[in-house]
Amino acid sequence: MSTSVTASTSLPDSPRPSRLRRFSLRTYTQNLSLPSGQRSYRHSLSSRVPWRSSNSDSVSPANSTTSPCPESDHPTLSRYTSAPAPSYGFGTELNSQVSSTESAASTPSNDLTQTTNSMARLRSISAVHRPPPRTLERATTNSQESTPSPEPGPAQSNVSEPTSAPADGQVTPSKSETKATIRFFPYQDSLQSSRPSLPFVPVARTLPSESCVIRVGRYSERDGVPLPNPTEPSDAPVGFKSKVVSRKHCEFLYVNGQWHIKDVGSSSGTFLNHMRLSQPNMVSRLYSIKDGDIVQLGIDFRGGEEMIFRCVRIRIECNRSWQQQPNEFNKNTESLIKNLGKGETADYSGCRECSICLGSVLRPYQCLFMAACAHVWHYKCISRLLHSPDYPMFQCPNCRAFTDLSAEVDDSNDPEEKREKEPAEDGPSNDSGEQVDAEAPSVVETNSMEGPPDQLGDLAEEEHLANDVENLHLQEDQQTDDTRSSDSPAPNSSSDDLARSATANIPGWQPTQPLSVPSGRQSQLRSDTPTSDDNPLTPRNDSGPLAFDGRAGMP
Amino acid sequence: MGSIKRISKELTELTESPPEGITVELADESNVYEWNVIMEGPEGSAYYNGKFLVKLSLPTEYPFKPPTVSFATKIYHPNVTNDEKGSMCLGMLRADEWKPSSKIAAVLQFARQLLSEPMPDDAVEGRIAEQYKNDRGRYEEVAREWTRKHAC
Repeated sequence: MSTSVTASTSLPDSPRPSRLRRFSLRTYTQNLSLPSGQRSYRHSLSSRVPWRSSNSDSVSPANSTTSPCPESDHPTLSRYTSAPAPSYGFGTELNSQVSSTESAASTPSNDLTQTTNSMARLRSISAVHRPPPRTLERATTNSQESTPSPEPGPAQSNVSEPTSAPADGQVTPSKSETKATIRFFPYQDSLQSSRPSLPFVPVARTLPSESCVIRVGRYSERDGVPLPNPTEPSDAPVGFKSKVVSRKHCEFLYVNGQWHIKDVGSSSGTFLNHMRLSQPNMVSRLYSIKDGDIVQLGIDFRGGEEMIFRCVRIRIECNRSWQQQPNEFNKNTESLIKNLGKGETADYSGCRECSICLGSVLRPYQCLFMAACAHVWHYKCISRLLHSPDYPMFQCPNCRAFTDLSAEVDDSNDPEEKREKEPAEDGPSNDSGEQVDAEAPSVVETNSMEGPPDQLGDLAEEEHLANDVENLHLQEDQQTDDTRSSDSPAPNSSSDDLARSATANIPGWQPTQPLSVPSGRQSQLRSDTPTSDDNPLTPRNDSGPLAFDGRAGMP
Repeated sequence: MGSIKRISKELTELTESPPEGITVELADESNVYEWNVIMEGPEGSAYYNGKFLVKLSLPTEYPFKPPTVSFATKIYHPNVTNDEKGSMCLGMLRADEWKPSSKIAAVLQFARQLLSEPMPDDAVEGRIAEQYKNDRGRYEEVAREWTRKHAC
């Protein structure tokens, strides 16, 4: 089955056509592709090995290709192996399908070991000063990718159905939890008293699919004016109005959960943290970039003082998606804030301190400022950083996340809601709705909300392990009082997105489902959980200053 | 003058529950911006048994600007300049690395950590760093010698 899977993810067996396809995708001219062609040829040779094995192996393609190098040690290699973005989505679907056939007891434990395994692996590889939450997030995604491996038996029998699912195209990008988002901020080098670099509006991009590439070059009238910050996922090129930027200057690629940069033959160079990536007009290899890196395009042209001769310095912000979702921290802050005015019994012992004055910050009758990252300070303390020369850009002094304070207010969680409503219209979503109800008690409050599968998915991402454990009991209950067939989507699917993509996109799967779980059951379940209102860990849409999708105040 | 409030708060914390091997006091009771810190050489390091006087100086913009740390006691260490200033190069104290949320306690602990584990790649004294990397025995000998001579 796996051979058919690999084929359906549109990656030809031989690396040569795929290489050609890549370049045509990037609309490259022939002469440009020469140096990189040589490069990729060498790498594709080595990348054949995993491909071959995945083809002949016929057990779990997603695993065998992605798991050997979760951190891309060989950028180009992993780029090729990961080229079919849908395979990721497929892997996750496979996971939910597979695990549903497992016994309730075995699946969660399986997941547990998986997660810890991959966490351990990650910890050994990951960079030294990566904050724990990030590692955690990466671990979860990795465990999703690699989950199918230890369950060869059921996988074989089940997978024939979802093979065509990845062709759907919309599976992966719109629904994967960790969307590849990168943001570019103007950076002024304060140490070297050089001339200011080119000012530009901060740019944000969320890749529609992992195989997309963000091209960066000189702004050209002919290309039209690309939106600096499209709200929808986009891989629109990024242009800078500077003479020292080449038309095709560099590219940003997302490979195996890691952003990379590559000079595509610029004349005046791309610099990553002051290191030049390649000789003039030469294509560089892929360099991985991390949050906070400084990328400089070109060097100042000394012949003129105009802005158009300035180089571009970009501060990269990436890998922060964990911060833009509900997480332990911002949920905690939210609950503290919600109880702020509630007076007598409120417990302020666990209050955060203002990192500026070290005083307790979450007390009533104080003017506070909260950034999009949910860090809070006294307004008086933080005002110095708000009204800085950099205004409207604000950098959180705690976590260094950038916020554009002048960005339009993004009221509500619109994008989230839209995503929730889509599936609510077709049949299987009823089922996923029920899964929501069947989720662990710690997230019970979501039941009182209308169609919140995504919200739950986000939440559950965080409480993956806990949920798995608790689902263990829940599912037992369910099987006794529910007549659902055993091949229903995995109740243990930690992320509801998994379940939903499984429900929505697998042809031939839907009919076998009890199409509509009686809605009475849902409401019954909902009314069964009256204690929900007090749960502090649950995100709500009506939360005042908190933006759970993290987009408020961001460009 | 928010900085004074924060600094006194940190000073109180540090005097009430000082971190291991670190004692702080104001160099001058009327000036909260200059601190004297007595740092004991960590056990197991070449500086063990030494008591080093470290001057911590806080800018008026603290905590928005980082403090500076310098060794008033001579010390043989790749990350401390071998002159009368004895300034110490700490990554977290560089202007672009500094976070207002870092506390003085963390800075001092980090500095003491640096005594047990010098960072030769981030050195200000290239010669000592070289020796630390290539001739550890000799380095420790000299460091011990200096500790005995200056810090006891």
